[in-house]
Amino acid sequence: MEPLSHECGSSKAYTFATHPSAASTHLPLERSDKTQGVSSPVCLKEGLTSSSVLRANLQDTLDGIQETRVAFWLPLSRTMSFRAAWSLVLRKGGLGMRGIHSPGGTAHGKEKMPPYTNYHAQRSYPMPDEPFCTELNAEQQALKEKEKGSWTQLSHAEKVALYRLQFHETFTEMNRRSNEWKTVMGCVFFFFGFTGLLIWWQRVYVFPKKPITLMDEWKAQQLQRILDMKGNPVQGLASRWDYERKEWKK
Amino acid sequence: MARQSHRKQTPDFHDKYGNAVSANGATFCVAGWAYTATQIGLEWNLSPVGRAAPKGWRDQ
Repeated sequence: MEPLSHECGSSKAYTFATHPSAASTHLPLERSDKTQGVSSPVCLKEGLTSSSVLRANLQDTLDGIQETRVAFWLPLSRTMSFRAAWSLVLRKGGLGMRGIHSPGGTAHGKEKMPPYTNYHAQRSYPMPDEPFCTELNAEQQALKEKEKGSWTQLSHAEKVALYRLQFHETFTEMNRRSNEWKTVMGCVFFFFGFTGLLIWWQRVYVFPKKPITLMDEWKAQQLQRILDMKGNPVQGLASRWDYERKEWKK
Repeated sequence: MARQSHRKQTPDFHDKYGNAVSANGATFCVAGWAYTATQIGLEWNLSPVGRAAPKGWRDQ
């Protein structure tokens, strides 16, 4: 491992990212380096873009450096910081951000801190790059070792357990219907009703005085005048008036 | 046979409250607009056919 060279000789943590809000926590860059507060000149030496500041725990450091290099065409690796990942998404541009919180959302999912991963599966993206469970206990690791052998040796329960390690839900579970539409429609109705209250407020505080031409008396006289002139006598207003009985036609 | 779910699904927010939210929202909407449309003096200028009685105007 190449030695670190601090730019200013102190052991305070620096981030060399140009993204001002990408300041991340301290990065241990050597496996043997247990202290905090190590800056990231190794990132610059490796030639990475300084906007991808790594947030890695100790054992993922080298993997993280390797992955970040190829991260531009992979889904977002969880070793990238949230800010770096977001700027990457914006640069790529093509990824739709709509529905990111809904079951039908985009495949790359949200950037999350450990122990959560970037796992998001849907019918059109059924096999994400990362397994659902990445932190395995001893029993699960033993099972993964057994998986490397012949699969005929696995019992049914073990196969199911392996499936559940790799995937969060089965297709049936993933594609199940939900009652979300009820909540959505309820909120739609609520806000529509709230709009009615806004209009009430408008009527009280904004509307001007009703013009004289819209008063009932004026409208009644206007109606008589139109009927006297026989306005629209074929299919319109005057055709609906019965002049003999002086009332509206039934 | 159709595929089956392999885990018991605990009810989520929409299962528990979806009906109540949609019913209350609809009630609020209907009540609010019924009041707004009729009681606060909005002019809808509906057609006089079948509703309004004409009134003499020539002497004004």
